[in-house]
Amino acid sequence: MTTLASSKEAGEGDPVDNFAIDYRKPLRWGELDPHRRENAKIGMWAWLWQRISALAIVVLLALHVVLTYKLFIQFLLLLTVTFHATLGLRVILLDFNLVDVKYQRALVWGLMTLGLVVVLTIWFSIH
Amino acid sequence: MASGAPASTARWGDWGGEESMAQSSRNIREVKIFRYDPSTAGEGHFDSYTLEIPDETTTTILDVLLRVQREQDPSVAFRYACRVNMCGSCGMVINGKDALACKTNVSNIPPGKEITLRPLNHFPVIRDLVVDMEPFFKKYVETLPFYEPKENYLEPVMIRPDSQERKDIGLATECIACGCCVSSCTMCHYHDGYAGPAALNRAFTLLADSRDGLFQPRLERALESCYNCRTEFNCTEVCPKNISGTRAIKYIQRLALKHYAHEPEPAKIAVPEAPPILAPALDRRTFLTQLGVGVLGAGSALVLGAVATGSMVGPTLAKAPKQWVPVSALENIKPGNVTTVLMKYETKSSLYTQQFSLPVLVSHTGNDIVCFKSACPHLGCVVKWDALAGRFRCSCHGGNFDRDGNVIAGPPPRPLDRYAFKVDAGHLFVEVG
Repeated sequence: MTTLASSKEAGEGDPVDNFAIDYRKPLRWGELDPHRRENAKIGMWAWLWQRISALAIVVLLALHVVLTYKLFIQFLLLLTVTFHATLGLRVILLDFNLVDVKYQRALVWGLMTLGLVVVLTIWFSIH
Repeated sequence: MASGAPASTARWGDWGGEESMAQSSRNIREVKIFRYDPSTAGEGHFDSYTLEIPDETTTTILDVLLRVQREQDPSVAFRYACRVNMCGSCGMVINGKDALACKTNVSNIPPGKEITLRPLNHFPVIRDLVVDMEPFFKKYVETLPFYEPKENYLEPVMIRPDSQERKDIGLATECIACGCCVSSCTMCHYHDGYAGPAALNRAFTLLADSRDGLFQPRLERALESCYNCRTEFNCTEVCPKNISGTRAIKYIQRLALKHYAHEPEPAKIAVPEAPPILAPALDRRTFLTQLGVGVLGAGSALVLGAVATGSMVGPTLAKAPKQWVPVSALENIKPGNVTTVLMKYETKSSLYTQQFSLPVLVSHTGNDIVCFKSACPHLGCVVKWDALAGRFRCSCHGGNFDRDGNVIAGPPPRPLDRYAFKVDAGHLFVEVG
């Protein structure tokens, strides 16, 4: 292996060297992979959806400022913020070892359920 | 192990012989193998092979590969050595999941589904399923993956099995450096300098070890890259040894909290020669891409921000345009009296509409009309007409004004403010804004 690599460097531009081979550039995660979707695990989604919800919050916040007191937008904003915050709490809990990493999958669903229950309780007690 | 002839396997009689032809016809699997030939280069492609697999629970993916190579296509290249999950040579992407070919049974893949084999991600492909692991070991070495005692101990130093340190490290030392974690970690693609889960896990096992003498330099190296972790847990999901790279990385991050609160001690032992932490050389293409993305991102953020700020904040700073507001029909204003009428109007500032409802004090002396603002010039309290006393009184601080609005008593600094007004078609209008 090392021989391959070193002789590759040594033999650059030398047509006689049989080891001067072209490596294929590294495959990316999911590239040319028909099974990419089914193997995207919950932790990846947790990360990705937190970023997406962050962008959604920016948009919804702008809408909230422009169209004041629209209940629908308020509710949507509240849900998005809850979603974003639960995923953020997950990372904080894991970062500081407050929850063992082996519960990381349960943490996503658990926190999200908890957040939803709290927020819906508050919402329906007001409206 | 890889025998394709059912007749020779009387030991597992349930799939031998002619009577179970129907069953063996069910056990045919399609195997798709990624092919890359360095002599023709290109992107690579998948080749399909059909294989009869009599007993899926005792056939590993490595067995499948060996059979394909032996029976159908001798040119298929893959790497393996121990066949018993010890050496970490046969890591590959099996149906989208990074795993050891020798540890994955065909029965782990849902029945009837094809088997797709790809080389590991994030490593240059040499041929077919064989990747160049050099980047992996380079990063491994960068984290100083060796034990260096603090002092020259004469006796073996024991770590008690029930100590916290031993429990923290746990089985994280079992890593066989197969590269599955690096292959599964999407951040390894986006951050070239990222050491990756395996190397950081190795650093963690030594950082947690109280006998180790290279704590500080190792911590510094690990911290260079451990913040690239996005807590995706991919490495933990795929590790064939059930080690959690994420846990190791979080541990290192917490160490930084503890050890960078005060001045770091200089290392007592000279750091052995190790390659410097590489800042990957930017090629022209990457640089231009990054520059493009940066400029595009900053540009769009700037434009969006400017438009948003301009449309939201701008109009609120600008002076509201003046407008004529109808106050009352002229016939309702009795001459000789001071009449209080409620004036209603609204102003628009960008998308925000504000509604006003203000009293106006209209003094009609018989041949002259004056419209006073009801806000006291002192602090803005509402001023009311006291018909008995014949004066305007402010309810707050005792400000008094005569019928012409001049201050008689109290703190107001100037006479009552007046509106400009006009009479149009029998209606009284005042100017606001």
